[in-house]
Amino acid sequence: MARYLFWRLIDAAPTVFLVLTLVFVAMRILPGDPALAALGDNALPEQLAAFREAMGLNLPLWKQYLNFLWSVVTVDFGRSLIQNRPVLDLIAYNLPFTIELTLVATLIGVVVGVPLGVLAATHRNRLPDSAVRLYSLIGYAIPDFYLGALLLIVFSLNLGWFPINGGGGLFWDRMYHIILPAMTLAFLKSSFMGKLTRTSLLEVLGRDYIRTARAKGAREPRVLYRHGLRNALLPLTTGLGISLLATLSGSVAVELVFNRPGMGALLISAISERDYAVIQAGVIVFALCVVAVNLAIDLAYIVVDPRVRVQA
Amino acid sequence: MDRRHVLQLGSAAALAGVAGLSPANAQETDVLRIGIAAGKPRHSDPNLTTQGSDNWATEQAYEQLVRPDDGVFAIKPDEYVPTLATRWTVSPDARTWTFTLRQGVQFHKDFGEMTSEDVVYSYRRAMKAGTNTTILENIAEIAANGPYEVTIRLKNPDALFLGTTAFNNNTSIVSKKAAEKMGEAFATDAVGTGPYELAKFDPNGAVIMKRNEKYWGQKAKIGTVECLYIADTTARTLALLSGKIDMMEAVRAPGWVQSMLARDKTLKMDMTAPGSFNTLHVNLTRPPFDNLKVRQALMHAIDRKAVAEALAPMGGVMACLQPPGFPAGFKTEELPAELRYPHDPKKAKALLAEAGFPNGVNFAALCSKREDYASTMLIVQEQLRASGFNMELKIGDHTAYHADNRSDKNTLAMHSSSYPPIPTQLYFQQLAKDSEVKADGKGGGNYSHYGVVMPGIDGLLSKALNATSFADYEKICRDIELQVLRDLPLIGLSTLSFTVARRANIDLGYEVKGGYARWRFHRATKKA
Repeated sequence: MARYLFWRLIDAAPTVFLVLTLVFVAMRILPGDPALAALGDNALPEQLAAFREAMGLNLPLWKQYLNFLWSVVTVDFGRSLIQNRPVLDLIAYNLPFTIELTLVATLIGVVVGVPLGVLAATHRNRLPDSAVRLYSLIGYAIPDFYLGALLLIVFSLNLGWFPINGGGGLFWDRMYHIILPAMTLAFLKSSFMGKLTRTSLLEVLGRDYIRTARAKGAREPRVLYRHGLRNALLPLTTGLGISLLATLSGSVAVELVFNRPGMGALLISAISERDYAVIQAGVIVFALCVVAVNLAIDLAYIVVDPRVRVQA
Repeated sequence: MDRRHVLQLGSAAALAGVAGLSPANAQETDVLRIGIAAGKPRHSDPNLTTQGSDNWATEQAYEQLVRPDDGVFAIKPDEYVPTLATRWTVSPDARTWTFTLRQGVQFHKDFGEMTSEDVVYSYRRAMKAGTNTTILENIAEIAANGPYEVTIRLKNPDALFLGTTAFNNNTSIVSKKAAEKMGEAFATDAVGTGPYELAKFDPNGAVIMKRNEKYWGQKAKIGTVECLYIADTTARTLALLSGKIDMMEAVRAPGWVQSMLARDKTLKMDMTAPGSFNTLHVNLTRPPFDNLKVRQALMHAIDRKAVAEALAPMGGVMACLQPPGFPAGFKTEELPAELRYPHDPKKAKALLAEAGFPNGVNFAALCSKREDYASTMLIVQEQLRASGFNMELKIGDHTAYHADNRSDKNTLAMHSSSYPPIPTQLYFQQLAKDSEVKADGKGGGNYSHYGVVMPGIDGLLSKALNATSFADYEKICRDIELQVLRDLPLIGLSTLSFTVARRANIDLGYEVKGGYARWRFHRATKKA
């Protein structure tokens, strides 16, 4: 197993390197001047020149690229051009908020979505199935920023049950702040997981071994959970991974609407301010998350399906 | 975390909601919270602030030698109010300014009494490095004459020194001892003399200030001011409507004020006039705008009154580059008839035909997607279409837009900027030959190339900058206004007030009529 993990990480290195290079190039192609973004559009030419000099933006591109790679190797991403703080501090502050939001939203999505999918599959073409399909359709169709604003207006503004915005301080306060944003994201997730569970389960329930189990007199719950759902878990695990990654990188709108700290909000403001150091570091964090989640999913296959074996 | 845990969390949250354990809201009468339209604070050192919103905090913590009264700009030099200086004199040639300092003023955090040493230090550090060294380039020397008097000698006369230099963020008086002791940390700490002192600078989204109990003047009435950074408009608006914050920086887009008042008619809107100057640079190097008749047609095609009305109540009409009430500002009826350029599509078409474009003109222009830019330029686009100008508007990212303007890539470039009643600041930044835009991005904000491809106002500007009396200064600036209206390199589109929406239980203690996009809270009171 250790060998397998080691080689998987080695395999990921070219991917991460490619991402690093692409991000560096993309930042330099993107129109917009970091100095102008930092100092404002009334800044005088000499002020802009001094800023570029101080931030190393005047260096030749190859030198900037090498500096960037070195900063990655030494895990020191430098300082934010705009906020003049170590980039690592910014990430250390924002990343936990994104991770906790992703995990809670995914958890709610799974807890709600999987039973809904089972319900739909076991009542195919009947009222529960139609209701779940309608639920999924709405979940897919409603934009998260709209749903977030709607939940805020109803539950925070009118009912006053939840905080209007922010990320919270200590653990319970953070959990209290996370409920509405997580519900917003979980709606789409539960729609996705519900639909995926329904499809996978329906496919499995049509297999020969299910018919055999029933013919041998197995009771329906045993057929459904022991033989059906367990065999449907493999595509669900893949779906869960995709869903996790989508939330990690796609929670921007929710973070903004709820004024939550997080990697999405950090990156959006960094992009609009052309804060190269923060953008580069943020993208690397996302790339590493992708690698880690993919690895975790591969390992989860082993647990879910005993037939899967790892080979280094 | 398991299902039971999640259920526990949900129950806890529901119970907290029922029990009213909501987060701190704005009901405490000794705390004033303002929602700032930015993601995070950057600096609290007034010599370093590059994000306008950060000045809400510096405005409370720092003071200058002189200030205008609360809620207004000082239009004339005699309208400045003694602040850290109790009196001042100026030499007849307007080159030597002497200030007598207020005695007994204490810096925050027990950094001692403010003396001339601190004033000299504050000016010298702003002259050496900071966000506005150019404005201070005219200072030849600043020296202390004993502990409570400083003399500032200028290279060139400046009859408006109080406005150009003394009342300026960069020349806020800081504690020399504190700045030297803290070093780089001073950028996000603050030791001034203002009615509030910094209690906490949270780089992740808040600046908290508490009342300065040793303030030399009348102490602030509300004990704590919290500047909370909420970049998203929806989040900020909901925070205001729910009472979590007491005030919020507004969205400067058509209809915003009306929609807010429709939701809560008790809200108060504080607005500065004029606020931002929205100008339109006509690139004189790009045909057909090198033709004066085409530029005149452009003026007749734009209905400036309609632009201002669309932005109502935040919008104001600009008859020239300085708004009415500012030095050198004209009302339309005060201008010579040929320079009023009333909205007249027929005349615009006739002028275009005279210029050799009977079938109209097609051109592309870049525009920022920021609300105030995009909404204004979309209105202008429609107005121009009616007169034969087909402007293809390419709306894009705000940062990229400014970079493109600075690289001379635009034909008709809108610019929005706030100016004090010092007309030469706008002339220097947007019209002077020395500020000409360059294709390599190293030029300035004169996007029209005025004064380079045709004679500009540089001679007059130099005269104005050397005027020894306010009357002479204003007269020369009025001449500049008239010349710009004749040459039309730059069009005053409209003004746009800075606006803050305020809950009705907050009384600022004065009326906001003008001034920079920030104001003080020391006279504010809050009812339950």
